[in-house]
Amino acid sequence: MFDLWLERVDRLYHGLETALNGFAALLLFVLMWVACTEVFLRYVFNSPMHGYVDLVEIMIPTMGFFGLSYCQRLAGHIRMELLLKRLRGRALWVPELIGTFATLLICGAMIKGTWDHFLRAYQIGDTSMDAGFQVWPPKLIICLGFCVLFLRLWIQLAGYLRLVVHPDARPIGVPTDETTQDPARSEAEVAHRAAQETEETERDQWNR
Amino acid sequence: MEPLTTGIIGVGILCFLISIGMHVAYAGALIGLLGLATAMGGRLIDPEAGEGLFTAIVLGFPRAVGVAGTIPFAELAHYSLSVLPMFVLIGYMAYHAQLTQGAFRCMRMWFSWLPGGLAVATVFATAAFAAVSGTSTATAAVFSRIAIPEMLKHGYKPGFSAGVVAAGGTLASLIPPSGILVVYAIIVEESVGRLLVAGFIPGILSAVIYAAAIMIRVKLNPSLGVPVYGVDWGTRVRALADIWGIAAVVFVVMGGIYTGVMTPTESGAVGAMIVFLLSLRRGMTWTQFSTAIQESAKTAVMIITIIWGILIMVRFLGYSGLPAAVESLILGLEIDRIWVLIIILLIYVVLGMFMDAMGMLLITLPLVHPIIISLGYESVWFGIIVVKMVEICLITPPIGLNCFVVSGVRPDIPLPSVFKGIWWFFICDVLTVALLIAFPQIVMWLPNTMFGN
Repeated sequence: MFDLWLERVDRLYHGLETALNGFAALLLFVLMWVACTEVFLRYVFNSPMHGYVDLVEIMIPTMGFFGLSYCQRLAGHIRMELLLKRLRGRALWVPELIGTFATLLICGAMIKGTWDHFLRAYQIGDTSMDAGFQVWPPKLIICLGFCVLFLRLWIQLAGYLRLVVHPDARPIGVPTDETTQDPARSEAEVAHRAAQETEETERDQWNR
Repeated sequence: MEPLTTGIIGVGILCFLISIGMHVAYAGALIGLLGLATAMGGRLIDPEAGEGLFTAIVLGFPRAVGVAGTIPFAELAHYSLSVLPMFVLIGYMAYHAQLTQGAFRCMRMWFSWLPGGLAVATVFATAAFAAVSGTSTATAAVFSRIAIPEMLKHGYKPGFSAGVVAAGGTLASLIPPSGILVVYAIIVEESVGRLLVAGFIPGILSAVIYAAAIMIRVKLNPSLGVPVYGVDWGTRVRALADIWGIAAVVFVVMGGIYTGVMTPTESGAVGAMIVFLLSLRRGMTWTQFSTAIQESAKTAVMIITIIWGILIMVRFLGYSGLPAAVESLILGLEIDRIWVLIIILLIYVVLGMFMDAMGMLLITLPLVHPIIISLGYESVWFGIIVVKMVEICLITPPIGLNCFVVSGVRPDIPLPSVFKGIWWFFICDVLTVALLIAFPQIVMWLPNTMFGN
C-alpha cells in the first residue's frame, strides 16, 4: 500500500519537476536568442539593448533553481560513487539515507536564508545596477527552488527509509542512476540516440 | 575553538560526506554553513561560563544561515557565468547537426594516407569536434561509434583503436568551448575569455603529439595501421564542405572572444545559434530539440549548483584561515617551486582516480590556487595545466572514465585491452604537460596577444 502511494507521489511530483525544468530549458534557449539579438543590435543598428547585462545576470540564478529538483531526481549532480558501487543492500541504503538527510538539513537552512534575502530585497525595493530591474523576483525563485527540492528530498528520504527496512525491494522514489558518475554520460546518451537516428534515416534513404 | 582547527575538522568531515556519496555541492554547502556557524558563534560565547562548541554553533547558526542565503543570488547573478549554459547547449545540439560524422569523413580524406592514417584522422577529428563539444566522455562515446568500426574494418587492432578514441576524447576539455575552463575561471576569479583562448594552442599541441606518437608507433610496427591510399585532391577539397559548420563555430567562438568583438557569452550564443540552425537544416525533430534543451538545462543546473555550494564552503574556509595556513606551511618548506608544483600535480592524478574532474577541481582549488599564485605562477597557465592533468586522469587506469565509456559503447572491446591501448597516449600527455611547464609561453602567448593583455 505504502509502495503504491510512494510511487504515485513520486511520479506526480516528477511531473511538476519536469515542467519546471522545461521552463529552465526554455530560459536557456531564450538566453541564446537574447545574446544573439544583442550582438545584432549592437553591430547592425549600433544600439545595444537596454538592460541586457542585467537581464542575463538575472536569468542565470532563475534557470539554476527552476531545474534544481529535476536534477536531483535524475541523479544529475556530481558525487563520488567509488565506495557506494561496492556496497549492496542495507549497507548501500544507509549511507544514502544519511546523505539525503544531510541534504535535507542544508536545503532547509537555505530556504530560511534565501527567504530572508528575498524579503530584504522586497522591502527595500532593491534594484539591479544598470537597468534598475527589481531583483526580488529572482531571489524569490531561488527560495521557491529550494522549497521544491525540500519536498523532493522528503520523498527521497521516504524512499530510502523503505529500502533500509526492505533492502531487496525495488527502489521507488529515489534518484534513478541514469547518469552514473559523470553527467557527461547523459550527453553521450543523447549523442548515441542521435547517431542511431541518423543511421536509420540514412538507411531509409538508401532503401528508397 | 581555533578557526584553523575548525577549518581542518571541516575539511575532514567534507571528505567523509563525499566518500559516503553525498552530492559534492550539498556536502560543500553543509560544511560551509556549519563552519560559518562555528566561526560566528565562537565570538559570541563565553568560554569561562563553560559555553563550548555546541553553544557556538547554536548561537552562530542564524547568522551563518543569513550569510549562506545571500550566496546563491550574489554569486550566480554574474554575467561571466552565463557563458556556461551556452557552451552546454552547443554540446547537446552538435550531434543533431551531424557535425561528428562530417569531421571524421573530412579528416579521413586528408590523413588516411599516413602511417596509422585512420588513427591520425580520428585524433584530428576529435580535435575538430572538441570545438563544438565541451566534454571528454561525450566525445569519446560518439567517436567510439563512428571511428572504431572504420579502423577495425581496415585491420587496426581493437585495443589500439579504442585507445585512440579514449585519448582523443580528452581534447574536448582544452579546446574551446570548454565548460571546465569556465568553471575554473569563475572559482579563481580569472577572465573567462583569457582562459578559453589559452586552452586553444595546448589543445592543438596535444592533438599533434598524439598524431606524432601514432605515426612513430606504426612506423616501428607497420602491421598496426595500414595507410589507405587512393583519395584524390578533388575529393579532399570537396570533403572540406563537411566541416564548414565546425569551422564556423570555431571562427565565431574563438574569433569573437579573441578580438573582443563579442563577450564569451555572446560568442557562445552565436555559436549555439549556428549549431541550432544547422540542426534544423539536418532535420532535427521537435522531440530531439526538446530533449537537447532539457538535458542542457539539467547539466547547467548541475554546474550552477556545485558553484554556489562550493562558494559557501569557500566563504567558511576564508574565515578559518586554512588556505593561508596551508600556503605559509608550503612556502615555509623552502623547496624549489617546481617540486611543489609537481607534488600538487601528482596529488591531482591520485584524486582524479576517485572523483569527477569538476568536483575535484572545485573542492581543491580554494586551497591549491593561493599556493600556486604565491609561488609566482600565472593563474591562467595553471588553469590549463590542471585541466590537462584532469584529462590525464580520464585515461589512467584503474578508473579512467573515458576508457569505461569506450568499452561501454563497444562491449566487444574489453576494458583491459582499452587500457593496454592507452598507455602510449598517457606518455604523450605527460610529455605535453612537461612541455607546458618548461615553456609557459605555449600557453600564455595567445592570451597575452589578446585585447588589453
